[in-house]
Order: sequence, then structure tokens, then C-alpha cells
Amino acid sequence: MAELLLVEDDGAIRAALMRALSTRGHAVRSAVTGLAGLQAAVDTPPDLVVLDLGLPDLDGSEMLKMLRAVSRVPVIVATARDDEQMIVRALDAGADDYVIKPFSAEHLDARIRAVLRRTGNNGSDAPIVLGDLVVDPRSREARLAGRPLELARKEFDLLAYLANRPGQVVTRRELLTEVWQLPYGGADKTVDVHLSWLRRKLGETASAPRFLHTVRGVGVKLVAPDP
Amino acid sequence: MRRQLSILVAATTSVVVVAFLLPLALLVRTFAADRALRAATQEAHSLAPIVATVEAPALADAVDRVNRSGSRRITVFLSDGTTVGAPARRDATVELAARGRSFSTAVPNGRLVLMPVQAARDGNAIIRIFVSNDVLSRGVLQAWLILGGLGVTLLAAAVAVADRVARALVRPLTATAAVATRLAEGDLSARVAPDGPPEVRSVGVALNRLADRIADLLTAEREAVADLSHRLRTPVTALRLDSEGLRDPEEAGRLGADVDILERMVDQIIREARRPVREGVRAACDATAVVAERVGFWRVLAEDQGRRVALTLPGGPCLVRLTAEDLAAALDALLGNVFAHTPEGIGFRVRLTRSNGSCRLLVGDDGPGFPPAASPARRGESGTGSTGLGLDIARRAAQAAGGRMRLGSGSRGGAEVELILPPPG
Repeated sequence: MAELLLVEDDGAIRAALMRALSTRGHAVRSAVTGLAGLQAAVDTPPDLVVLDLGLPDLDGSEMLKMLRAVSRVPVIVATARDDEQMIVRALDAGADDYVIKPFSAEHLDARIRAVLRRTGNNGSDAPIVLGDLVVDPRSREARLAGRPLELARKEFDLLAYLANRPGQVVTRRELLTEVWQLPYGGADKTVDVHLSWLRRKLGETASAPRFLHTVRGVGVKLVAPDP
Repeated sequence: MRRQLSILVAATTSVVVVAFLLPLALLVRTFAADRALRAATQEAHSLAPIVATVEAPALADAVDRVNRSGSRRITVFLSDGTTVGAPARRDATVELAARGRSFSTAVPNGRLVLMPVQAARDGNAIIRIFVSNDVLSRGVLQAWLILGGLGVTLLAAAVAVADRVARALVRPLTATAAVATRLAEGDLSARVAPDGPPEVRSVGVALNRLADRIADLLTAEREAVADLSHRLRTPVTALRLDSEGLRDPEEAGRLGADVDILERMVDQIIREARRPVREGVRAACDATAVVAERVGFWRVLAEDQGRRVALTLPGGPCLVRLTAEDLAAALDALLGNVFAHTPEGIGFRVRLTRSNGSCRLLVGDDGPGFPPAASPARRGESGTGSTGLGLDIARRAAQAAGGRMRLGSGSRGGAEVELILPPPG
């Protein structure tokens, strides 16, 4: 589907990711060090680079800067360090998205597809309209009937994730892994409480939903309300 | 310290001043008396030739003239028993002098100087001069006042100098103490500008070195934790990717669930390892504010699920030795447990109270309580896939804060978890 360059020093992850991404239809090349990765990205430009930040020879964000000097290729950063500063530095250095280890191949693939969609066709970042609800991922703003909604960071991420899949039932497990990047634990009520807040801010209740519908035992979906 | 130094100097100075001035004052008094007596004796000597040669009427004139001009009272007892000059009785002292001895003696109100004179005509005449106490101590009071003034001036000067010195000593010490306090409160950028006497200066330098060392240790800790995160998460990622690659979906699912648990454990371990980095040197937060905020956050879900929430907070702030982040995570874990393990519609209560300086945070529900036999910390492990991490997070937070966690059941049989959190030390 796409030609990927994987820059990863850990042999086990490299092998597993190459296998997993190949079975999902991508053509995957790999590089073990930052310099080799840089060389590969310049010689035969791929569609997208998956870059591990913890490389032995070069600091990942340094390598990112060097890559950005010569190429506009989309980059997804994979890191085991989940501190905000590191992530902000990587995004500032030119990364298009990031995943925090441990991640699943499915998760990485979804992000690869999203980044390719975004960079290949700028229109997909356009505001999503559902009835009188408008979600603009670029300005991170949501408006209900023209009035801006005061949303916390995770509330917006949650709304944007659901708005990207209108009418589709999304499980709590998926929301936890995709929006929170947390492993599923069964007892986690984080998603529920954020959904409650979102529902409230959308001006509706669980018993009389308009946008946010709970599908019992399965998950939630965001739909345009009936006019 | 400034006051103590001043008091010390005042005490030593006053001892020295008293030791010098007291003998000096006595000496002044003796000296003044001696001078007055010497003057009286001299006068007697100068009168003697007149007494010896001049006739009584003329002598009386001369003596009266001297009496009027001077401050002494002169009486001359003539050999014929008459007296000239100031009136006086011929008493035993006069008789003693009549035997040819001159001397001085103390009487009430002053001293007498007596001197026999060999008259030309017949027998001895005696010159008696009375010197009053006033004359004896003339000038003494003035001298004493001057001495006293001098003493007070010396004392004041010594105290002033001592205070100056003390201030110069205390200022750098106070500055050093202020920096130590800031360090203790977690401001690791605080440094002493070494100043003052060498000893105080060396304390400042040592404190700066200590602060540098703490900052270095924290940086090293931060690095170590970041490295730990990298080292643990990389193999878990490989494991997760491998488990997904399994062909047998049942096996993949089972292994995936295990990797989920492993991931949560690794997250928890990294979170715990990060505590010193998070807390810095000193962790403290107001439990009242944190509890109010977190219960407010969960309240919307409770309302959506028809749960009654009873929140009790103390009147004022309640400080505990935890960061707000850690306390919020512990409370979130406990409240998350209530939502996960009791059916919708079941109410719960959160009560924060103060007792013996500690804060007690109680989370209780009206549900069925902890299952018997099973360890409550592992409740739900097999049933719903929960790893019991909720209670574990809360217990670790309580222990890190120097407190403990207590499990029990409420009056209606529901589960109750209480965190006892001592104040920041």
C-alpha cells in the first residue's frame, strides 16, 4: 500500500514490525542506525518514515532535523519515553505524529494511514460537520450551533476521534489505546468519565442523547442528530 | 544572636567599668578630704606666729577676719582660759592638744585640726580649726558625676560597636539560613553568595555544594528513569508485536491480554520510579483542593449512572506529603474501582477529615463490599480483567506519603478504603 522506511535499532521490534506491516500490505525497508536511515531516506525516498527516537548513534530529534533539511517525507516518531518535553521536541523538529511504546502494529498502521491521508490530501484535515456540530482538527476547535465548546485536551481528542468515524461504534478499549495510548485493563473508567463530560458539554444526557449514543456492551458512536 | 552579643558585651564592659571606677571614686573622696585637712593645717601654721605674738584683742580681729573669709571655723584657746574666734567648748581634745601635741580628729559633721602654740608670755595657746563635712567632700560629687558619665559613655560605645559587629556576623548567617530554607522547600536554584566571616562563608560554600549535589542526583535519577522506561518498554513492544503475529486467534487473544497486564505493570513500575523526579525535594499538596477537584470530575459520570455522591470536606486546607498529581491518581484509582465494581445506581461517599494532624481520606460505597476469602487488593482480577492495580496505586501513594491504607466495610456492608496521610514534615 505504501513504501515505508523503518529506522529501529532493536532487532526484535524491527523484525516484528516489518512482518506486521508487510502483512498489512506495506512495502517495508529498514535501517539500524540513524545515519543509515538518513542515507536510505535520501537515496530512495519512501512514502513515510517510522523513526525510533532511541537510536545508538544519533539522537532521534537531531536526526529528524537533519532529515527535514533535505526532505519533506512524513515521519512518525516511535518512542519509549513518554515525557511531554521529548514529544514536543520531536513534533517541533518536524515529526508528523508519534506513538509511544509499547504500541500494537494495528495502532501504528492506523497512524500511518492517517498521516498518509493527511499529507497526501490536505482536504482530510478539513472541519468535520455533524448537524450543528463542527469539529476542526487543525485549530483544535469544536463549535456547537456556532458557539465554541470549552473542551479539555483529552475531551477534544476523544471528540475528534469519534467525529472521524461518524456512525461507527467505537469500543472503550479502542478509545483507551488510541486516544489515551494506555493498555486496556477492563476496570478502567477513564473513558466513561470523559464521555460523561463530553456529553454534558454537548448539552445532552445519557437518557436523551443527540450526538453521543451508547451501544450497550459494545461502545459509543457519534452521529448527526435527526433534524 | 545580635541581642545576645550586645548583652554579653554590656555585661563585660560594665564589670570592667565598675572595677576601675569604684576604687577611683573612693580615692577621689579620700584625696579631697586630705586636701581640705592639709589646707586647715597650713592655716593653723600660718596663724601660729600671730597667736604667739599678738595681743588678745588684735588676735580676735585677725581670727574673725579669717573666719569670715574662709569656710573653716577657727577658735583659739588662750592660756588664760579665754577663747578667740568661733565659739567652742574647751573639751578633752583641746586639753590633749594643750599637752603639746598637734593632731586631727573626727567629730560629728566634720573634723577638727588642733595645734598647740608656744605663746611668748605664758603657757600654751591652742588653735582649733573645724572643717565641716561639706568642705571635706567639696568637689567629690562633681568628680563622681564625671566618672559616672564616663562609665556610661564607655558602656554605650562598647554596646554600639558590639551591635555593629554582631550585625556584620548575623547578616550573612541569616542569608545562608534563608537559602537553606528555600532548598528545603524544593527550590534547588537557591544559592548562597558567600559573605561574612570565614566560618559563615565556608557554611555557605558547603551548602552550595550540597545543593549542586542534590540537583545532580535528581538529574541522574531523571536520566535513569527515562532509561528504565526505554529498557522496559522496548521488549514489551516486541512482545506485543510478536503476540499479534500469532496465527491462532485464540492464542493471540490470550497472549494479548497477558501483554496488556504486563504493560500496565510496567507503566506502574515506571510511574513509581518517577516519584522522586516528580516530587523533587519536597512533595506537598492541599488534599482538600485535590479531593474537591477530583470528586467534581467524577461526579458527572456518577450522575449519568444514577449514583448518589456524598462528599465531606474539612473547613480549611489539609496538607499532605504527596504531589497533587499522585494524590489525584490515588483517588482516581479508588473512585474508578467503585465505578468498576459496583452496579450503576449504587451511591458512594468521599470523606476527608483531619485527625491528630493527619488527613484521613475515606472512599466508601454502598455495594456488596469486598468479596470474602479473596485478597481485596486483587479483587476482580480473574472476573473482569482488572489487575487490582487501583488499590495498589492508592496503597503505594499512601506509603510514599508516610501513611498507610486501611480496608474495611461500612455500616451497610459496602467496601471502604481509607488512606491515612500524615502532614508534610
